[in-house]
Amino acid sequence: MNAAGKLIAGTAVLVAGAMALGGCTGGGDSGDGTVAMTLWHNSTTGPGQVFWEDTVADFEAANPGVTIEIQAIQNEDLDGKLQTALNAGDAPDIFMQRGGGKMAAMVAAGQLKDLTGKLSETATTEIPAGSFSANSLNGQLWAMPIAVLPGGLFYSQDLFDQAGITENPTTFAELDDAVTALKGIGVAPVAVGAKDAWPAAFWYYFSALRECSPEVLASTAEDLVFSDDCWLRAAEDVADFAATQPFNEGFLTTPAQQGAASSAGLLANHQAAMELMGAWNPGVIASLTPDQQPLADLAWFPFPEIAGGDGEPGSILAGVDGFSCSVDAPDACVDFLNYLAEADVQKAYYAAFNAPVVNTVAQEVITEPYLKQILEAYNAAPFVSPWLDTVYGQNVGNALNVAVVDLLAGKIDPAGLVEAVNAAAQKG
Amino acid sequence: MTEREHSTLLGERSPAIIAADGGSATALPPSVRRPRGEGWRTRLEIALLAGPALLVFLGFVIFPVVMAGYYGFFRWQGYGPPTDFVGFNNYLLIVQDPAFQEALWHNIVIVVLSLVLQAPVAILLALLLNRRMRGQSVIRVLLFVPYVISEVVVGTGWSLMLQTNGALNDLLEKLGLGALAQDWLANPEIAIWTLMGILVWKYVGFAVIIILAGLQGIPEELTEAAQIDGASYWQIQRRITLPLLGPTLRIWAFLSIIGALQLFDLVYIIWGQYIASTAGTSTMATYMVANGRNAGNYGYGNAVAVVIFLISLTVALVYQRFVLRRDTDGALTGGTRR
Repeated sequence: MNAAGKLIAGTAVLVAGAMALGGCTGGGDSGDGTVAMTLWHNSTTGPGQVFWEDTVADFEAANPGVTIEIQAIQNEDLDGKLQTALNAGDAPDIFMQRGGGKMAAMVAAGQLKDLTGKLSETATTEIPAGSFSANSLNGQLWAMPIAVLPGGLFYSQDLFDQAGITENPTTFAELDDAVTALKGIGVAPVAVGAKDAWPAAFWYYFSALRECSPEVLASTAEDLVFSDDCWLRAAEDVADFAATQPFNEGFLTTPAQQGAASSAGLLANHQAAMELMGAWNPGVIASLTPDQQPLADLAWFPFPEIAGGDGEPGSILAGVDGFSCSVDAPDACVDFLNYLAEADVQKAYYAAFNAPVVNTVAQEVITEPYLKQILEAYNAAPFVSPWLDTVYGQNVGNALNVAVVDLLAGKIDPAGLVEAVNAAAQKG
Repeated sequence: MTEREHSTLLGERSPAIIAADGGSATALPPSVRRPRGEGWRTRLEIALLAGPALLVFLGFVIFPVVMAGYYGFFRWQGYGPPTDFVGFNNYLLIVQDPAFQEALWHNIVIVVLSLVLQAPVAILLALLLNRRMRGQSVIRVLLFVPYVISEVVVGTGWSLMLQTNGALNDLLEKLGLGALAQDWLANPEIAIWTLMGILVWKYVGFAVIIILAGLQGIPEELTEAAQIDGASYWQIQRRITLPLLGPTLRIWAFLSIIGALQLFDLVYIIWGQYIASTAGTSTMATYMVANGRNAGNYGYGNAVAVVIFLISLTVALVYQRFVLRRDTDGALTGGTRR
């Protein structure tokens, strides 16, 4: 090959390489009827990862010409990578959506595909309308809900029996009694993974849900001024409870989900009796038991009521995990989201994640009593709010989480918590 | 500016200034070194050789610094381009934020304690290792091992050992010293000392190696002469070795100060994303990540980055001007100019 030939060959290789690079950054119709898409989710291990591989394979088989490349990204890394990809203009076509302030920012930047009116009949008839509210903004739908994850207290029935607790606590006074009884049998009454901040903050979110009226929660989301007296009262409730020293030893450096020493691990190994968590917890606990099987004596009760609070008794906090399409994603993305909403896929999701799904037909196969109780409480709740760090956006939510940890550690007092949260609103 | 103009300009400067920027050699007329007609060739060579490095430097150092300065003037969540210009408001908030003041204070404490704790230990160890003895090289290697291990491994290892139910407290209890067991990581009164302990353990080896290298540069004749004059071992170390180690110690202190100002990884690994400020070990860098990236306030985070940059730059320049100047003068100009 002469010099010119080499040059041409080299150029061809470069161009081909550039095209290949371009091809893997974002999907699209290639003109010959085939569609290539990318999917980002956060299940990097176990049955969750297998669920996505199987689901995508089934979808590809049912839709010839469509290929989906899966990328499983570690949960704590997902948001940062997603943000970079969205801003760089090579976003994945399908990705996990957490809703709230982050979704609002994506919508404002024009990065999401509007799903309004594109849902299949199955999705609209088998998923209750309320489940779409978390992923809606200004009357438009931006993500398909997959699972609903309400929060409450998970506990070990065996440890409660050993401590002689026969009735689940329904008030803080009864919870205090349970804490005393559990200390008597030498276990940590309550596990909390304060190293990750948000698990500790759940105690404050739920107290605020009990102390504040839905109107105050909503108006605060708009002006981000935490001036109502209920925010302070909720902080005092948490401080009073923390003063009884209910948490596991060294809770400040305890992570939520990693390893046997995490808060979920303490529950899985019967070293702690209770944990305030969302409905994803049974799956996490199951992966941390000695035999990696679901915890046999796991049970659940709702967050205790607080007398004199402005909140409606029975209200519940719940996250909704959904999936969005990026704005330039091909139409097959919407087809895939509709596929995720079908009862069979939802049943498989429930089996893989041990979490309550949104499809009511699929919900019928749920057998665990605690999941049934959770769904019952969720369906009966007069008011359902997303997690407060989602409602108030990443900036204030982050400051709120850290302030609660400071409160539990005794670094600040209840008034200091409200001050810190108000100060954070200035930065974002 | 052409080279001719440059040399003229330099010629008009006072000698002191020439000494300060360290190069009277550039004042030589270019024609002396380069025959006519080969100028373009040399320039091409320089461009080809220096170009890539210059591009990387501009692209990955200067450009990000400039962009951080730009983003720091916006209230920006990181989605889409920044539009909400807020002037110096971010900087005002940083200065007023008690959490930042705490972080800055922790940095100052770490800078001072690193010098105070590491210097004596490192000097003594280096003096010891500079003498002929059995297993000398093995001990040198062992001292250097912590410095070689990655921060992530060090952080994870220590945080596991220092948990309330970890190895250290277990050991204390087995020794009958259970009363000394502590919450080493979460107790705000202890945590910063825990961090200092780990930092000293990790970085003292680096100081020892640098000082050992400095000791090699001290002529043996001086020591021998002092011995003949009847000086004791400690007198020799105090009067001869230490003063001659000066330049080495000043360079080490400079590296230590800059490292301490920018400390991030160990704190982030051991205390995680959220609780460093609660435990009293937050640094400016962890504050930046917590309030920039984790909080989604990319504009604010960039402003914090600029503040850290300015503080580090100021410290570096002041140190260069008042402490290192004598050493670099000596190195670059043969010590002939004062």
